[in-house]
Amino acid sequence: MRQIKKIKVVIAGPFAAGKTQFINTVSEIKTVKTERKIQHSREKQVKDYTTVAMDFGKIRIDDEHELYIFGTPGQFRFDFMWEVLGEGALGIIILVDSTDPTTFHEARKIINFFQSRFPVPIVVGANKQDLPNAWSPEDVRIALDINEEEGIPVIPVSAIDKESVKNALLTLFEIIRVNLTR
Amino acid sequence: MALTGDLRSFNFVDIFQVIGRDRKSGILFVEWKDLTCAYYVKDGEIIFARPIDKVYRVYADKDFDLLLSKLRMSMESLPKTIERFLISRLDMKEGIFSFTPGFIKYGGEYPVVYPIEELIVLASRNLTPEEVERKISDELLLFERVPGKEEVLQKAKLNQIERHILSLVNGERTVLQIRQMVNQDSLLVDRALYAFLSLELIRRKKKEVKQKQAPITLELLAKIIERIRSL
Repeated sequence: MRQIKKIKVVIAGPFAAGKTQFINTVSEIKTVKTERKIQHSREKQVKDYTTVAMDFGKIRIDDEHELYIFGTPGQFRFDFMWEVLGEGALGIIILVDSTDPTTFHEARKIINFFQSRFPVPIVVGANKQDLPNAWSPEDVRIALDINEEEGIPVIPVSAIDKESVKNALLTLFEIIRVNLTR
Repeated sequence: MALTGDLRSFNFVDIFQVIGRDRKSGILFVEWKDLTCAYYVKDGEIIFARPIDKVYRVYADKDFDLLLSKLRMSMESLPKTIERFLISRLDMKEGIFSFTPGFIKYGGEYPVVYPIEELIVLASRNLTPEEVERKISDELLLFERVPGKEEVLQKAKLNQIERHILSLVNGERTVLQIRQMVNQDSLLVDRALYAFLSLELIRRKKKEVKQKQAPITLELLAKIIERIRSL
């Protein structure tokens, strides 16, 4: 039997940034989740379940290749998983909840984490742009202190919209393509 | 689109950075525990501040010049309002802010005694250890100077120690080394670095992005891109 080769991208971001939804929207399989009921009262106000190890979705590319999409847990107490999941990734999409500026600083720390460990392209998705109180991607970029020299695009994302999720993945792969042709 | 948030999670340095970077115009509201203030912003500069009883009443005065004459405010007195209702409150951490862009019609030029760059530095001097940790999160971080920032530097009005800290940023020294060289409370160093980042006087030193041992060819990449498009 021919072995399927795996191509990996990672979806990271703070708690409740929309990572699981992002993968759900585009995965061809039912997303494999490792969710647990939230115990912390503050987090419980946001949602009932959270990812504790990883989410996993995939897209079949051809007979020999599959694109694996891994979602990391959002909380820093699970950051050991970030390192595991980041290994071997072709690129990383970091989602930010554009409606919740309280998470922007955490998002910057997550960018720092991946930037310092994995020299691969990063795209920031300013998620939840479908909500009325979402900060614009440009304002999110400024709030995250991402300057142009960092080469990290901040793009609008709505993780419930397939076209938007596709656009985020395409942006990442376009950067990977440019890097490969350099 | 309104920018809203809580001062506990998004401090004044961050707010001023967003307002100043895009040279936004509009009104910044801050609902403190004891007072609600409206800060009038023109082209990224805060030119006037006043306490208000109800936010919606501010929207009744769309013409800034008319508002000033209604309040019998002279141009010379505008900076005093910044001192009284903003600078004196930069150490207060409990409040909700919202920035509404556009809306207000400004006339000509207004005095800017406290440029946004200086306000960023003044606000940074009140940051708590928890706040600075958000950006200066690792003592091994490397920063480098951004060239061509003389004007920003001039407006920022750094004090002697802040200028010294800035002079130590060279793209090779880590945060830890800078702290050691300054030999003062590390919070002082971190606050200054936080302000410099917000002012874009310094930036994180870029690491070269390499597609190391990429298990992928251009042909496969083209297939992936095509496949995603067709989903």
